[in-house]
Amino acid sequence: MKVQISNGMLMALIINMLYAKSIGMTQGIMAREVKGDIWISTFFSTFQGVLLIALIVIVMKRIPEGDLIDQFHRILGKFPGKLVAISVFVFFVGAYGNIMATFVYHLKDYFLPEAPTLLFVLAAFLIGIYAIHFGIEVVARMALIGVFSIIALNILLMLGSLSNFDIRELQPVFQSGFKETVWASRHHNTDYAMAAMMVCMILPLVRDKETWIKSSTAGIFYGGIIIVMWPILETGVLTADVAAQYIVSCMQMARSAEIGLFIHRYEMIMIAFFALSILTQIIMAFLCSSIAVQKLLGLKDYRPVIIPVGLILSGSCYWLVKDHHRAMHFIEGPWVYLSIGTVVGLIGILWISGLVFRKKWKANYEVKQ
Amino acid sequence: MKRAKFIIFIIFSSLLLTGCAGKREINDLALVMAVGIDKGSKDGMVKVTAQVSRPGDARGQTGAPIGQSGETSWNVEAEGETIFEAIRNLTGISSRRVFWAHNFIIVINEEVAKEGIGDIIDFFTRNPELRMRTLVALTPDKASEITSTITSLEVVPGEALSKLFRYTNISTLAPHTEIKDLLAAYLSESTEPILARLTLEERKIDSLKPEKGAKVNQVGLSGAGVFKNDKLVGILQADELQGIILFRDKIDSGVVVIDCPKEPKNEISVELNKQKFDVEPTYKNDKVSFNAKLDATVTVVEAGCPFSISDKEAVKQLEKSVEAKLNDDINKSIEKIQKEYQSDVLELGKIFQNKYPYEWKKMKKDWADTFANAEINLSIQANVESGSLLFQPTISGKEREGE
Amino acid sequence: METTSKDKRFTAELEKNIAIIRRELGDSIDLVKRNIFFLGNRQVSSVLFYIDGLASVEHVEKVIDAMMFEGNEFIKRNQLLISDLQTLIEQHVLMNTSFSMIEEVEKALIAILSGDSILFVDGCQKAFHIQTKGWDTRSVDEPQTEQVVRGSRDGFTENIRTNTALVRRRIRDPELRLETMSIGLRTRTDVNIAYINGIVKKGLVDEVKKRLNRIQIDGILESGYIEEMIADSPFSPFTTIMSTERPDKVASALLEGRVAIFVDNTPFVLVVPTYFWQFLQASDDYYMGFMAGSFFRIIRYIAFIISLTLTSIYVMLVSFHQEMIPTPLALTIASGREIVPFPVLLEALLMEITFELMREAGLRMPKPVGQAVSIVGSLVIGQAAVQAGIVSPFMVIVVAVTGISSFAIPNYSASYSIRLIRFPLLIASGTLGLLGFSVMFTLLAIHALSIRSFGESYLAPATPFQPNDQKDTLIRFPWWGMKKRPQLADGDTIKLGSHQKPKPPNKVKDPIEKNKDNQSESGGEENQKEEDKSNMESRDNSDITGLRRWKKKTGDNKGAKRKE
Repeated sequence: MKVQISNGMLMALIINMLYAKSIGMTQGIMAREVKGDIWISTFFSTFQGVLLIALIVIVMKRIPEGDLIDQFHRILGKFPGKLVAISVFVFFVGAYGNIMATFVYHLKDYFLPEAPTLLFVLAAFLIGIYAIHFGIEVVARMALIGVFSIIALNILLMLGSLSNFDIRELQPVFQSGFKETVWASRHHNTDYAMAAMMVCMILPLVRDKETWIKSSTAGIFYGGIIIVMWPILETGVLTADVAAQYIVSCMQMARSAEIGLFIHRYEMIMIAFFALSILTQIIMAFLCSSIAVQKLLGLKDYRPVIIPVGLILSGSCYWLVKDHHRAMHFIEGPWVYLSIGTVVGLIGILWISGLVFRKKWKANYEVKQ
Repeated sequence: MKRAKFIIFIIFSSLLLTGCAGKREINDLALVMAVGIDKGSKDGMVKVTAQVSRPGDARGQTGAPIGQSGETSWNVEAEGETIFEAIRNLTGISSRRVFWAHNFIIVINEEVAKEGIGDIIDFFTRNPELRMRTLVALTPDKASEITSTITSLEVVPGEALSKLFRYTNISTLAPHTEIKDLLAAYLSESTEPILARLTLEERKIDSLKPEKGAKVNQVGLSGAGVFKNDKLVGILQADELQGIILFRDKIDSGVVVIDCPKEPKNEISVELNKQKFDVEPTYKNDKVSFNAKLDATVTVVEAGCPFSISDKEAVKQLEKSVEAKLNDDINKSIEKIQKEYQSDVLELGKIFQNKYPYEWKKMKKDWADTFANAEINLSIQANVESGSLLFQPTISGKEREGE
Repeated sequence: METTSKDKRFTAELEKNIAIIRRELGDSIDLVKRNIFFLGNRQVSSVLFYIDGLASVEHVEKVIDAMMFEGNEFIKRNQLLISDLQTLIEQHVLMNTSFSMIEEVEKALIAILSGDSILFVDGCQKAFHIQTKGWDTRSVDEPQTEQVVRGSRDGFTENIRTNTALVRRRIRDPELRLETMSIGLRTRTDVNIAYINGIVKKGLVDEVKKRLNRIQIDGILESGYIEEMIADSPFSPFTTIMSTERPDKVASALLEGRVAIFVDNTPFVLVVPTYFWQFLQASDDYYMGFMAGSFFRIIRYIAFIISLTLTSIYVMLVSFHQEMIPTPLALTIASGREIVPFPVLLEALLMEITFELMREAGLRMPKPVGQAVSIVGSLVIGQAAVQAGIVSPFMVIVVAVTGISSFAIPNYSASYSIRLIRFPLLIASGTLGLLGFSVMFTLLAIHALSIRSFGESYLAPATPFQPNDQKDTLIRFPWWGMKKRPQLADGDTIKLGSHQKPKPPNKVKDPIEKNKDNQSESGGEENQKEEDKSNMESRDNSDITGLRRWKKKTGDNKGAKRKE
């Protein structure tokens, strides 16, 4: 795959990966812990996300043509590389469960309550395998359109909610305490971990490596800014208590927006915009897990493994999403540790082993060059 | 590759097996416009009245001729132990599936409210079909009557009821309460819910028998109900509400009637156009007090005695009387809430929390008592800025002085 | 075809040549054989073959005239030898504008079948291939399918040479090249490829020629055949090749670096590569002012979106998501649907198919009746259907608006493809609601993102985003603002001089002051005059290299002139 995507597309992909889950489910989860300070937690999370991405890009720049698994492969050897591939795959299975929970709960609970869950899983599966068949360039272009629709969605929401915005709801700051606010940001960190892992897998495909750091950190930063508008509005309009009641708070937010007397409940227009972003997320999850399996099996191209990977992902997420409680328990509990642990752990190991085994892999590397 | 395509084709066609899940034609739906909740015939039962609109009559004939019976809505009631059960029983008599998404207003009988509306709040917020902006109101009369009365100029009663609330920021006869506010207040640690109140009043004159006078019932806004947790504890009449609404919403217009400065027998009505309202909490020596400041711009709209804004003295006196009157009225309502009902519908707890978060943590638990004993100081400033269109006082030419 | 091998050649014997021709072409009644005696001399006989109807009578008569009479005078005067007969006839006798000498039988056959004449002279090894084409053809008329309010009204005809001439008239650049091919084993249709050398991307013309050479089919009757055979994505509902009847569209496409393919016997010329957004652009946009042009272009984009999605959205809202409709509208829709016995999806499909039927019927009917059917048909049938209770009035409005929007799309074939796409979208949203709509829409979007048209991404310049090309996509920048050619051109990409934005002239000075200035600034004014002169000179079109000269001079006008 000699396909190359531009830096702007990388930014767009990052923003899309972050957006869908962060505005709804994460805010609900955080609101249950810290009530009105969710926007501060979001800021902390953004900050941590920027640091994480910067670290990743710096570490991975050592070997620009290799993605995460390749780098392990080069530095530590074949077997650790395969282990890493498996852990990346497990990560994306969990991430896919997350994404599908957002997708299904958004669409099914609010729009099509009687449709079977399997329908949504199948639809996502179809789109995923069709899209990655063409390669990353198509997905990246969709991500660009996705960014436009995200911005449109934000604007629409602001138009409909600002009249009811009460800044007093946001006060007092740190009402739950500084420690709890920072600790609550771990939920939002999982979204950044997802985006970070995606960057790990596709970084070699981005051309112009001089601007890797700038574009990836910019992507996280802009994503954070766009996302933070939601907790501020949710707290101001709905109040934090109400936001905490719901699984998908962003939908409640959207349902309360109304422009004038005639256009109310335009959440469907918003869902139409939102759907593009979340479909991009689904497609990227498919892509990254396919690449992981490809590296695991040592194949040349990821296209032959698309269908089996897709089936595994869909099957596992179906089991997860069917039961609301199971899904929420997973997302609020084990997933936090799994995702952040995987990303930070892998990058840490890569960095340290790169330093320790510097001579060995540098020699190898130069030979290969 | 061919096998892969085959598998995909099979999976894709399995989508066709779903059989249009969730499809409901719009003509298979009974669009509920308003719902009323009363006490049931037996203890512990609830009676739910749903007002369903009949589209053919509500909108007139568009298209092929339909059988029109002239009734624009179909009102039915059903009973059950809980609201959800009552609604299920409702579907037993409805030929179409009851659809709540277009519901405008929820009317709750006061008897039901006295026993607690927690289950109502839960039902209407858990259900995905209902909007967060549905209006909620109380009524001392039967909710079924309120929802079924054809009111005002609208064809569909539910719509009429919701439109009554459109101008609450001008009429201040009832607060604009939605399910969203109700839920927020209920879940809050300090604020208590308040709901608007509707009553049936004989106001309409039947145009076919005008000699009988105003004998037909119409639904009108009249005050609010004050809650503690989820139980109704007290009523505020419409004229007591003006000050209370100031604490919660922005009011665009208010009316005060005062005696004429020079001729106490006649009265002047003034309109408060712009009202700037701020509340500042203070905490001194373990004593909580609030300073509320109201800055009102006053326009003279009706003068029963000769009045002109160029008369500086008269204006000053007028301002003073307006301030005094407002002070009196608002203090009376606040006292009622504080002493009688002891329920913080004024959102003062939130204001206190915003400024003194540490102290708040200690006082959270007994806020109801603290609120009852808190001092609320009002300072009102009224400025007469215009006399509408007139500049000269309205005096009969024959009585004018100096002629 | 296993007739002649390419090596078969004519001989100097007249009878044998005649026999060859007779054998190859058979005895068709329109193949005319005319015996001529050269200069009235019974010893030199010649035979002229042509096809009646394809060859123009005047040209043939000229040949005969020349052979029989005109040459006589000349020969009498100059007494040339008979052995030089071929050269004699070639250079001094024949008076037609173009002819050549051929030896191969294959070429002669093609010539005769194309309308030229073949002249065999006894004793000459080679045959004369004389250009005598002339047949009845449609005159240059306004194009039927693409009408404009402002702009030229000539459209292509079925004659390929007329078509290329129409384009040549508009582009007098010596770099405009025309290459020819003959495609189709039995039809041997002439296909011309036009491009402007120096602007076209490297490899594009070769790619086009490669694909055209790959075609092996027995007959090419219309450019549509070629379109299907060289398309990038044969299964895609989106057309990746633009076909147009307007010469100005072709000319502007050539100026942008595209390649035009002319096909004989059809007025539709193909232009490659294509962007999707081109189908939504009309020639009017470029000729009207930029504000009006941009406005109408945006209207066309809205029309495109409406024609694609309105019916699906309506069906989806009414069948699945009634809570999204504002309540008064919901009641109106419901009241209209009270009587209708069908579910909305079926009603929508019925109305759409009826609409397509009416449109198709309007096309096929003879002209005077056709108008009546389309207008009266839609109105009356729509109203009658509503009264009969088969459809709801709302549905009629939705379908009518959709139909009208699809007619607003300038390119005929594009509106077909959009209408085709509408149906799966409609069925998906009618069966699965919002999920179906978004999934199908995304699938279409992914598909559109992945196809290429001769190397260019189909949805450029929106994605991949090319900032320079945005000047002509959603809105049209004024002509003085579009400095570069679109990204698909290579080489000479600057098409605008500098400082092209029109400005009002400098203020006219007071005569007294003018004199004062004259004395003090005499040097400056002279330079000013010279500058104007140089500007005008460099734009002199009769100077062939002036085209390039003004580009070089835009930076250093003053400097250059002062030295001279």
